[in-house]
Amino acid sequence: MKRRHFLKELIAGAVATTALKSSVVEAAFVQQTSIRYLRPPGSLAEKDFESRCIRCGQCGEVCPNRCIDYFNLENGAASLNTPYIIPREKGCILCMKCGQVCPTGAIKPLERTAEDIIGHVRMGKARVEKSLCLSYQGKTCGVCYRACPLQDVAIKVQLLEQPVVLDACVGCGLCERSCIQMPQAIRIIPNHNG
Amino acid sequence: MKTDIKVFFLWRHLNKLRWLIMSLVFFMLVFLPFVHVYQTYVASFSYDLLTQSEKQLFDIMEAVTSPFVTDPASQLDAIKGNTWSGNFFGYKISDPLAVAGQMAASISVYWPFFLSGLIPIILTIIFGRFFCGWICPANFLYELNTALSLWLQKMGIRAGKRHFDRRLKYLVLALGLGVSAMTGSVLVSMIYPPAIVGREIYFSIALGGFGAGLVFFVLTLLFDLLVSRRGFCRYVCPGGALYSLLGHFRLFRIKRIVENCNDCAKCNAVCEFGLDPLRDDFGQECNNCAACIAICPTDALTFNLSIKDKENQGPGHLGKKYQQQNSQLPEDKNATT
Repeated sequence: MKRRHFLKELIAGAVATTALKSSVVEAAFVQQTSIRYLRPPGSLAEKDFESRCIRCGQCGEVCPNRCIDYFNLENGAASLNTPYIIPREKGCILCMKCGQVCPTGAIKPLERTAEDIIGHVRMGKARVEKSLCLSYQGKTCGVCYRACPLQDVAIKVQLLEQPVVLDACVGCGLCERSCIQMPQAIRIIPNHNG
Repeated sequence: MKTDIKVFFLWRHLNKLRWLIMSLVFFMLVFLPFVHVYQTYVASFSYDLLTQSEKQLFDIMEAVTSPFVTDPASQLDAIKGNTWSGNFFGYKISDPLAVAGQMAASISVYWPFFLSGLIPIILTIIFGRFFCGWICPANFLYELNTALSLWLQKMGIRAGKRHFDRRLKYLVLALGLGVSAMTGSVLVSMIYPPAIVGREIYFSIALGGFGAGLVFFVLTLLFDLLVSRRGFCRYVCPGGALYSLLGHFRLFRIKRIVENCNDCAKCNAVCEFGLDPLRDDFGQECNNCAACIAICPTDALTFNLSIKDKENQGPGHLGKKYQQQNSQLPEDKNATT
């Protein structure tokens, strides 16, 4: 009986220390989610991405658009030197080169076809802020629709070029990049779940 | 004083070849980011919008690459990356530590990535820790750092000479992989100088500024300069530890020819990794850099195919100690030869 009690205590202690450790680790490496960033197209979910990405920097090195930048410590130590895209600064043109060059599959290797992009790319989803959007304020604009690489699939326009984002939106950020309003009336809500 | 045992004459010049290869690798690390910048200029049709210096860069890169490619924006993608992980004409090659770190972080094996690390692993099993001396871009800077410390010594500033336990780096490797596994993030790449150097050169050229890794790398340079000569590679580097372990039974080894040795100990002085060639103590730490072969005045060091080092062969036969021990032998030898 005594030994069983001892074993119980031992196991409880081990569980407690690992829980404590992991919480300390979590606190040290927690993400500062105030930064609204996208991962490159075809990226895995955030946890998997961090464990896969070896920080070789090749995705940025093939990006012809130079939209991929790299974190320093501003997003927590766990995502140090991982790639990100700020859509307002530069949107992704969906060339899919980063996935083909990625050695670890942190960015899935996809072809530059409509099926692959619509089927597998989930960087985020655009959302229109109607109180800021010119078209919804009565001045015909439609720039986001013209900028979209997946017109009428990811975004459609109504009367007066009022944009409506559809479910197929992959979140490349070209609409947010091109929005002529300041602050922008269309924003990508990032999806970090792959 | 020379004996009949000849050494293959090219081994003496391997050190020069090594410096050539290291310089080339470092040059490529600087060149490839410029290629990338040039590609982005081409892809965006922005020549007229560039500033004067950017136009110069464009013109130079166009002159350099136009004999080989017709469509720079896509064809120059053939060579990308750095020594940590790179693409060469469609083949991916990765550092074994990258493979180990990634496996630890995700606690699973992603086979395409493991296969990309297979060629370096096989080469390391045959040639030992050759990456450290022949390719590593950080080693290039560290050896220049050693030269700097020698200059400083001439000017009267003492360089650090402290020694630590060489097994410390295996602990660092285990800790690095352990922390990577605990946090689920490949943090071992943050304490590995070649990965840092490759990244930071790219950041500084293509993204307009160094990242956080530069701080760590400068600290290691200062550690080498002020505390312990080549201390990081000898005692801390996790990649060096992994390569040492993989190269424990390497096939290519440096061997001392005891008949030619005169105990001058220049090999010990020149060895970057603080080994003891004079007493046949190479071990798994030797990176076959051939600096000791190049400096040996009596051709007493050569390459050998074997999976074990020789036991200590005692004092060199041309040295004073050996000749005093066998005082009648030198006269005989002189008489016969």
